[in-house]
Amino acid sequence: MRLHKRHDFPGKLLVVEGVDGSGKSTQLDLLRNWLVSKEQSVIFTEWNSSALISKTIKKAKQTNSLIPVTFSLLHATDFADRLENIIIPALKAGLIVLADRYCYTAFARDVARGVNKDWVRSLYGFSIRPDGAFYFQVPVEVSLSRIATSRRPGFYEAGMDIGLSSDPIESFQIFQSRIISEYDNMAEEFDFHVMPAEKTIHEQQMLFRQIATKILND
Amino acid sequence: MELSKHHNYPGKLIVLEGTDGVGRSTQMELLANWLAVEGYGVTRTSWKSSGLITRAIEKAKEKNALNTITFSLLYATDLAERLNSIILPALKAGLIVLADRYYYTAFARDVVRGADPAWVRKLYGFALEPDLVFYMKMPLEPLLRRIITTRGGLDFYESGRDIGMSTDLYQSFKLYQSQILYEFEQMADEFGFKTIDASRPIEDIQRTLRKELKDILSDKSLASG
Repeated sequence: MRLHKRHDFPGKLLVVEGVDGSGKSTQLDLLRNWLVSKEQSVIFTEWNSSALISKTIKKAKQTNSLIPVTFSLLHATDFADRLENIIIPALKAGLIVLADRYCYTAFARDVARGVNKDWVRSLYGFSIRPDGAFYFQVPVEVSLSRIATSRRPGFYEAGMDIGLSSDPIESFQIFQSRIISEYDNMAEEFDFHVMPAEKTIHEQQMLFRQIATKILND
Repeated sequence: MELSKHHNYPGKLIVLEGTDGVGRSTQMELLANWLAVEGYGVTRTSWKSSGLITRAIEKAKEKNALNTITFSLLYATDLAERLNSIILPALKAGLIVLADRYYYTAFARDVVRGADPAWVRKLYGFALEPDLVFYMKMPLEPLLRRIITTRGGLDFYESGRDIGMSTDLYQSFKLYQSQILYEFEQMADEFGFKTIDASRPIEDIQRTLRKELKDILSDKSLASG
């Protein structure tokens, strides 16, 4: 399985992971701007954004009728499309690829939905191993408060599809804590760089840059 | 999640497999009508027909935008959706589900396209094992003539042009279809297919299919239609 082997492309792949509201996108954005200011060639890709399938996924979610396996397969398709069309060509061209979420998101979310853990890992067996995977770890309460200040959690985001609770907030709490526990379990399995939540945005960014520099110069 | 295993629902899942142009749809139509006349509840489902994903597959094919893995995954998504919305409910209600192609088609096509056989088999681990699989088999040459005549020409994906076998469309088509046939042959034993000689007249094939179905139909749990 490619996920456990180092790639030999000249480029570098850095990914950020963590639940919604963990601050990973903010941190990746800051890193990207900083790399660009250093005149590095950077390309960015995010979860559920492929030309092939992301529209289908968005439409399907509106009907609230997807079962976990179909949900899983749709996201794997999105990922495979971006991997082949964006990530791998960019790595071959020697670029720095920054990915907001990677297959670990599926490992956390799909398993939290009750999908078989081995099946999901095997499903993503075509992935390539990132040069650095940064996990932005936050407690559930923090994640919830950050999301709740801006908007109400979506149907799937709150895990409403698996009937954890009829109350969206309560369902979100249960579902997010399951996801967090999946992430925590993966930290060792996939050598995540764990980014602690109690640091300020600035402190986290300094740490992020420091580790990223080391990886990029490797 | 249930990984591939035999179901205990009152209905039956009957699969008709075989390469392009082998006459599956004709036989399926005849079987469905006969079963209804005999008083059985029947539901039909075809490969790549879910409301969720069919259009996305067709659009991607038009643009030749599919690679081996996305090709595999889209078809798996299609089956997952149909299992949930069509096949499972029908089996639970005691109907006979006639499936025009099943995951064996993916096992053959995806492997010819370069996917890892173990990966593809595991990918479909969410799907139920059928109660009976008919494999309609025809030798390569007549099959090629039949596909070209019925389709009025050659199709890009049916010819395996996406995997660059040959720039000569006919050569590519021949090579691709022969490899697909080879994969089906290998699977016949692996999965215990009932192999049907598809080069015989339509009525003869139909008679054989009906005869083979008799054992399954004697099951008392089936709902009458």
